[in-house]
Amino acid sequence: MSTDDTTAGHLQELRRGTVVLGCLVRLCEPDYGYALLESLNGLGITVDANTLYPLLRRLEKQGLLTSEWNTDEARPRKFYRTSPAGEQLAGILTADWKNIDRALTRLTSGDAR
Amino acid sequence: MTTPTATLTDRYVYAAARDLPEAQRTEFARELRERIADEVDARLAAGDGTTPADAEEAVLRELGDPSALAAAYVDRPLQLIGPRYFLTWKRLLTLLYAIVLPVTAGAVLLAQLLSGAEPGEVAAEVIGTVLALIVHLAFWVTLVFAILERTPGTQAVERWTPAQLPDVRDEGRAGRLGDLIASLVFLALFAVLILWQQVSPPFFDRSDTAIPVLDPGLWSFWLPYFLVLIVLEMLFAIAIYLQGWNWPLAIANLVLNVAFTVPALWLLATGQLFNPEFLDAVGWPWGEAAGVTTTVLVIVFIGIAVWDVIDGFVKTVRGRGGSALTLGRI
Repeated sequence: MSTDDTTAGHLQELRRGTVVLGCLVRLCEPDYGYALLESLNGLGITVDANTLYPLLRRLEKQGLLTSEWNTDEARPRKFYRTSPAGEQLAGILTADWKNIDRALTRLTSGDAR
Repeated sequence: MTTPTATLTDRYVYAAARDLPEAQRTEFARELRERIADEVDARLAAGDGTTPADAEEAVLRELGDPSALAAAYVDRPLQLIGPRYFLTWKRLLTLLYAIVLPVTAGAVLLAQLLSGAEPGEVAAEVIGTVLALIVHLAFWVTLVFAILERTPGTQAVERWTPAQLPDVRDEGRAGRLGDLIASLVFLALFAVLILWQQVSPPFFDRSDTAIPVLDPGLWSFWLPYFLVLIVLEMLFAIAIYLQGWNWPLAIANLVLNVAFTVPALWLLATGQLFNPEFLDAVGWPWGEAAGVTTTVLVIVFIGIAVWDVIDGFVKTVRGRGGSALTLGRI
């Protein structure tokens, strides 16, 4: 395994959970798969379509998202929205994310050592 | 299933959806169509001059194998037995092989021998049965675990506890296993030889009557005595395997050797050991070599016994942490 592959692997590991958090926060406003994909990637939360679509299904199954088919336009689209349980989880995850960030900051600045 | 109107997308959605449970198919197909259409639109909007057909094909190519895609959507395992069950599967199969294979091989062997089959026939039957059993056990065990893997809501069946830790391997005992097998095989052969020379000896007199090698008169006491000693030697070999050499066993070894060698030499020296008719048939005594042959036999008998007894004591001393050199200082 080359260094680049190793780096890519670790980056993927690090970002895996952030995609869930990104979805939960972003979907407080209902949106459909492709639009969500574009906006997350535009914000710098890189995610692959092959990851995102199955993830949306899984989060819905876990009751963290609700969905509704929008047939107003020519093409029917499934709109997802964060459920109350999803919002609660988003709060917990955000708090934890901030804790980790603070811990890493202390580590880097040398306060904790 | 190709109809003239079916597009590539239709065929792709059909191929992916048919792998799913019926209840999920419609919803999944709808979602997948939305995704494909959005991605095709995005490609066309990028505006590098692709036709809709090219864009469609490129999108489907990127989606990849429809079965793999469907599996990812519904969290279906793409392996026969996943990490949740693999260790349990492996332990169970190993255990079954370790128990069932030797027992079955032994049973088939015994049945074949009792029915008086030829040696080749016996070997073929035993090997055939064992091979079939290896395949069957692996197949059925794996099938059950593959079904478990695909059954929702099942938990790992085996929760590991420290009680399952294996004993640290007794290297000494493992090393003695070779000795044990060699001893048992040799003793069994010896017993079989004593019986065989009586039941179907390979020597015949002039009237073609089979003649035993050892004096048949010895069956009144001495041959049964030696057979009992052989059984005791077998038990002794097992005791050595289990406990390793120690002083009581080394002394038992001395006793057993004396009990075997002294009567054997006495019978040989007084001419009671061999059947006189057998000696006639093979032309004993072989002229002037007779005395030398007997002497050599006696020396070999005594030599083996003495070496065996010393070997036992040396191993006992070594087992206590001393080397063979300390033997002189005991």
